[in-house]
Amino acid sequence: MSSVAVPAGAAETRRARTGFGLLILAVAGSLVAYALQGLGLHGEVPGNLAMYSVLFTGASIGGWLVIRYAARSADPALYPVAVLLGGLGLAMLYRLMDERGRVDIARDQAVWLLIGLACFALTLVVVRDIRQLDAYTYTIGLAGIVLLLLPIVPGIGYEINGARLWVNLGFVQFQPAEFGRVLIVIFLASYLSQRRELLAAGVGRFGLPRVKDLGPLLLAWGTSLAVLLLERDVGASLLLFGVFVVMMWVATGRSSYLVLGIVLFAIGAYIGWLALPHIQERVVIWFHALDPNNVNGIGYQLAQGWFAFASGGMVGTGLGLGSPTFIPYVGSDFILAAFGEELGMLGVAGILLLYLVMIGRGLRIGLERPDTFGKLLAVGLTTVIGLQVFTIAAGVLRLIPLTGVPLPLVSYGGTSRVATFVILALLIRASAGAWYRVRKGS
Amino acid sequence: MLADAVEPFALSALKYGLFALLFLFLWRSMRWVVRGLNVDRSPAAPMPGAGARAGTGRSASQPVAANVLVHAEGKEKPRALRLAANTVIGRAMGCDLRLEDTYVSQEHARIFAKNGSWYVEDLGSTNGTFVNEQRLAAPAMLTTGDRIRVGTTILELAR
Repeated sequence: MSSVAVPAGAAETRRARTGFGLLILAVAGSLVAYALQGLGLHGEVPGNLAMYSVLFTGASIGGWLVIRYAARSADPALYPVAVLLGGLGLAMLYRLMDERGRVDIARDQAVWLLIGLACFALTLVVVRDIRQLDAYTYTIGLAGIVLLLLPIVPGIGYEINGARLWVNLGFVQFQPAEFGRVLIVIFLASYLSQRRELLAAGVGRFGLPRVKDLGPLLLAWGTSLAVLLLERDVGASLLLFGVFVVMMWVATGRSSYLVLGIVLFAIGAYIGWLALPHIQERVVIWFHALDPNNVNGIGYQLAQGWFAFASGGMVGTGLGLGSPTFIPYVGSDFILAAFGEELGMLGVAGILLLYLVMIGRGLRIGLERPDTFGKLLAVGLTTVIGLQVFTIAAGVLRLIPLTGVPLPLVSYGGTSRVATFVILALLIRASAGAWYRVRKGS
Repeated sequence: MLADAVEPFALSALKYGLFALLFLFLWRSMRWVVRGLNVDRSPAAPMPGAGARAGTGRSASQPVAANVLVHAEGKEKPRALRLAANTVIGRAMGCDLRLEDTYVSQEHARIFAKNGSWYVEDLGSTNGTFVNEQRLAAPAMLTTGDRIRVGTTILELAR
């Protein structure tokens, strides 16, 4: 049954050629960006450009070879998009950290990118068929919840910047929620594919779900609120509930779940607003960031982000030529503003379009899957990435109150990098299965 | 340092080079997404396995083409459907006749043509298939006017 055994067809060869062409473009773009950062910043290319080029090209092609070996007929566009996003992110992080005299931080992120690629390869090799994951519904669900709530445990969990989402195991520190989220999505795909018919049965004129079917929705709502109130992590809470509602909606085909989800979200947001002062502050900043009283106070970060976008204009100042380091936490929450300053609106639009390609392909993989589990999994995983991009991009642009989640693959954050690569590996694995079916059927 | 006039020019040329690479990449990968969206405008592919079954069901003499009237619970007007040589009924996505009915199994039953007649066969459903309120134990031949019940849905064979 393994897709590896299927002989290569003409369509597959074409797909592989497209993928490799895209990969070469992605690597070239990443390296040009890195060289330009050095040129802009110091007037010369970075000293380690040759070594960086060899390593980056080698790692990228290594990942591509693993796809060729383990998932022959996989989607050609997802991986190159990830390489380009990762490469642009590293170039920008190098530039930001260099200006602050902390190149070692950028180097750490490069190592995390390598670890991410290794986990990507490992996931592809271990998970031979996406349906393997369907067999352990409740084990995976339990593991997901444990990871989600791990930072609460005294002794190993600790706080940074007011949010308790870190775990220190002595040798490594990470944010378990990033992986917990992936496991929760696998659990939901498995659970909902078994129960979707029952949950889809509605009553009344508007097809509202039956009261007894509201259990899972309320449970997810409770868990999200627990994450919010106990860990004070708005981003994780929002992602968790958002992904749940979207998957519920997709599984049942009932928009009443979407409406109920939005109502519950509003109630939850109000509870959070009442309970947590820093959420109230976020809302104040959202409305009044440029107020003269706030612009050098609580609104400083958001205001500096806006100034960065403004000075970037249409095409930006050029890489390494702006001054995005005025923005606090520019490497994690505000990296999009750094791109806005140095590559302008064109650059930001380009990055958002890259995510659009990623999300478009992810949803398409879901459409092509023959099985409910695979469909729900692909949609859920894509939603995790999509919601994350929306939350942080819209937060930086002041469309919604700022919520600190990493911009996947681009911004600073080791755990997020690795988790995103695992998500992509699962999507690519799902696409290989889908292609296998398509070819067999025709 | 390079000459003052050359350096900004060179840098912005390189910047536009990067834009060119970025948007060339986007153009090429976007084509993939868009092409992906047009792949199967054609009717949905048959369920895997259904094609094979159709092969066994098809015979030299096709029966007279027939329709079924689908009486779904809570709907006043029945829906008419032309029978194919092999019609799989169930809740699964790939079924030829998909029923949104909690009491219907994923692949519940099938109606097929053999030796010039229509037959109905239960595919191991949970709640059973009934022909004129008799539970089906083996494939049964159908005549016009027969009422097949799967879950709460009634299918009536018509010319």
